[in-house]
Amino acid sequence: MKKIIIILTIIIGIVIVSVMMNGCASAKLVDKVGAELWSENCVRCHSIPAPNAFTREQWETISMHMHVRAGLTDDETKKITEFIQSATN
Amino acid sequence: MKKIICIAIAAILYFAVNAQDYNKTAIDSMSAVPEKKEYSNTGFLLSGYTNASFISEGKNNSFGDVGFSPIFLWRPANHFFFEGELEMEFEDGQLHFNLEYANINCVLNKYVTFRFGRFLTPFGTFQPSYHPSWINKIPVSPLGFGHDGVGPSSEIGVDLTGGIPIGSSKINYNVYVSNGPTLNLGEEEPGEEGNLMYENYADNNRNKAIGGRIGLLPFLNSCIELGISVQSAKPGDEGSDYEKISTFMYAYDFNCIKQIEFLKGTVDAKAQWNFVNVDNAVYPDHDDTTGIATYSYNNKRDVYYAQFAYRPTMSKNDVIKNFEGVVRYSSLNLPEEAKENKDLTQLIFGLNYWATWRTVVKAAYQPDKDTPRFWLQLAMGF
Repeated sequence: MKKIIIILTIIIGIVIVSVMMNGCASAKLVDKVGAELWSENCVRCHSIPAPNAFTREQWETISMHMHVRAGLTDDETKKITEFIQSATN
Repeated sequence: MKKIICIAIAAILYFAVNAQDYNKTAIDSMSAVPEKKEYSNTGFLLSGYTNASFISEGKNNSFGDVGFSPIFLWRPANHFFFEGELEMEFEDGQLHFNLEYANINCVLNKYVTFRFGRFLTPFGTFQPSYHPSWINKIPVSPLGFGHDGVGPSSEIGVDLTGGIPIGSSKINYNVYVSNGPTLNLGEEEPGEEGNLMYENYADNNRNKAIGGRIGLLPFLNSCIELGISVQSAKPGDEGSDYEKISTFMYAYDFNCIKQIEFLKGTVDAKAQWNFVNVDNAVYPDHDDTTGIATYSYNNKRDVYYAQFAYRPTMSKNDVIKNFEGVVRYSSLNLPEEAKENKDLTQLIFGLNYWATWRTVVKAAYQPDKDTPRFWLQLAMGF
């Protein structure tokens, strides 16, 4: 029971802290450009991929895969896809 | 009570999602992405990874641990997507074949994707994100992590998942309903009474497991992620004495990756701690030849790992910048009164060389006064 309360407390805590940080922050996630998001998010799990490793159409499929698997936001997914497609030969 | 927790988590997520609606107009205007064209083909991609190893254990050494895991991705329309992974491993003289995951995804809106099928359990981050050999920085998984570990590795069910920006932070989440685990009564493997078996293609009762994970990335550059996972289920067979036995699992995970100027490189720290609690039950004692004796124990177990890696990515030398040093400690803690009760720890040092962004040569050493182990592995994503 104690552990359950602790877990609930932590969950609620991180939501509150997150909201507070949101209020204090001047920069927003939605302001970031695709190149930044690409370099910051891919590396959370694996090395940063080379843009020319896949075709533009393949990147569309990979982006959707990563949208689900890495928990990327919709905005991040679109910006990363656009950036990496623009860098693909 | 446990289901209330799951409902509470779902409620928090619901409010978090709806809170975003107030900013919907602003977000829409800032993410002015042109409409995507409809696809003329299936958007098919064959991806995956492969690995081969050399293993030295005490006085024995062998080439082995050969794995090939093709991943099939289809995107037949803008909002539909399929992912499937076959896992083939040649181990102990036998070919092991497994359907790692196969699920159909439907993007419902910006914040919610629905998936249905077999999926990697969002219980912590190691199994769903870091276990592929071209991502895992050590040739083996941490103690107690993987298919027969402490905590689930894959589910068959439905899952809602997504990512939500909250100012300079973001959260990602999963909420799922699945067949859940089965309680092992030691009939096939005496001594494992009370363990949970997670590879369940068909449910053994009418109860469904409910679980989820919430991850918080508090900083704008997404360099830190903190996560909490839970799962509640009834693992006993329908109509058996174990029908009402419940299990509650939870896990904490942490990930930090950052390029640091004064260290001239990138540090990567990862950790996860799983807890699996099963209600007390009376199990048959298979060691008793009369078949009458039973035993019970306080069935709580946990496992954790902590990993630290450093790669001199800012080095001007093109060879040195591709090396990466890794150290990982993992610990498996089993119930004292259980028959299978040996606590284990593992410390591994590794040195990797990244030939390309998806090809890595890994050397790892586990110092052990009785049986030191050495691995050499080549892993490649494709």
